Amino acid sequence: MAAAALCWALRAARQVLPSPCPGQVRSYYVDWRMLRDVKRRKMAYEYADERLRINAIRKNSILPKELQEVADKEIAALPRDSCPVRIRNRCVITSRPRGVKRRWRLSRIVFRHFADHAQLSGVQRAMW
Amino acid sequence: STSSVHSSDKDKSAASKDSTPEGASNRQEDGAETPKQQLLDIIGNMKVEVSYRKKLQQLKASESKKQALNKLEGLGSEGSVPQGTAEDTQRYSKPLNPELVKAASAVASSLPRNKKQTESELLAQLRRHEETTDKQKKGGTINIRNVISEMIVKRQTPAQRSARISGRISLQLDEDGRRIRPERSSAQSIDSRSLKVGKRLNIFTKASTEPEHALKTVSPPTIWDLEFAKEVEAVTAQPPRNGFEEMIQWTKEGILWEYPIDNEVGMEDDAEFHEHIFLEKHLEGFPKEGPIRHFMELVICGLSKNPYLSVKQKVEHIEWFQKYFEEKKELLQEI
Repeated sequence: MAAAALCWALRAARQVLPSPCPGQVRSYYVDWRMLRDVKRRKMAYEYADERLRINAIRKNSILPKELQEVADKEIAALPRDSCPVRIRNRCVITSRPRGVKRRWRLSRIVFRHFADHAQLSGVQRAMW
Repeated sequence: STSSVHSSDKDKSAASKDSTPEGASNRQEDGAETPKQQLLDIIGNMKVEVSYRKKLQQLKASESKKQALNKLEGLGSEGSVPQGTAEDTQRYSKPLNPELVKAASAVASSLPRNKKQTESELLAQLRRHEETTDKQKKGGTINIRNVISEMIVKRQTPAQRSARISGRISLQLDEDGRRIRPERSSAQSIDSRSLKVGKRLNIFTKASTEPEHALKTVSPPTIWDLEFAKEVEAVTAQPPRNGFEEMIQWTKEGILWEYPIDNEVGMEDDAEFHEHIFLEKHLEGFPKEGPIRHFMELVICGLSKNPYLSVKQKVEHIEWFQKYFEEKKELLQEI
């Protein structure tokens, strides 16, 4: 379901906020772009069900075409930030938009940093 | 004949046993009883237990304990000394069993090394044995009993014992080479008590909430009580001493799941499966024919296969469509 996927995405963005772990505690988002990304994720989560249903009407060969056109207009009228396509998987620590590995939600530089300091469990330098 | 003899705790005699069968086989032609044959007979008559050494050790340990206790209490301080002296005198006063002496001399003669020395050593050993047997006869058994009573006895049923022995021995191979196991009785062979006795632990089944016998508080704990309890916990919380305590802490925090893993933690779906699958009753607001009905039936088919939504969510989904199509009714009538 789209809602579940968006929920996960939301939690990914929220992860760095005040948590009981030792180490760096950040009370702010890294930059404004990260904040906007967070807002988009929240909106996408709210409108996920509606979007799904309207899309189900649109991508249909059974219902009459007029209905589908009306549905097209409706979905275009929804707020722009509600579509999940606008979400960018940024690095959680540095807000870097590129070079982000999905499994760790970290950019490649941060990943290397943590891995070399042995702070990523099960990650080892490759050698073969 | 040597196979029937249990091993005694004399290494030399063991060595002698190995040499005696050869000697016996050589001299069987004579027919007359050689000293080695006599030795064999004597040893065959003597049946020394395997665990004798352990018993000796226990006896000695208990004796020393007893003596220590007596000295501490100061009661038998006078008694222990004459005991020691009595034992010493007994050692040399009491003559050894003449048969044993004969056996010792025969063993010594069979050995290639210095015979007199070995004979004297063997006799000294014999004397020690006699001493311990005397102690046992007098009152040593009580000490053993004290020692053993402290130990926990693991009881085995005779059937279990036989099963174990048979298990060790049986390696009967089939024609193909597979092992035939003797058919064992069911779980009853594990213990003389049955398995279904006792209070259930409710590890793998959700426990039915039994009526709590403890007295319940008159009013639920106030916020201040909870805060106080949290404060106390925070103050007294020590860092975890070992991995188990760390895991307990993690479980409390929610980092670690509870084992055995319950797949339905956090998911409290009280609805039965038929409420998930048979959703046609929600389609009453829709027209019975036409493309909309067709579309909605497809929607219901998809929802029935969805395990991730709860029944409420599915019902909401259908109701949303109902609203939507009602709003578009004028449009649909134009078509």
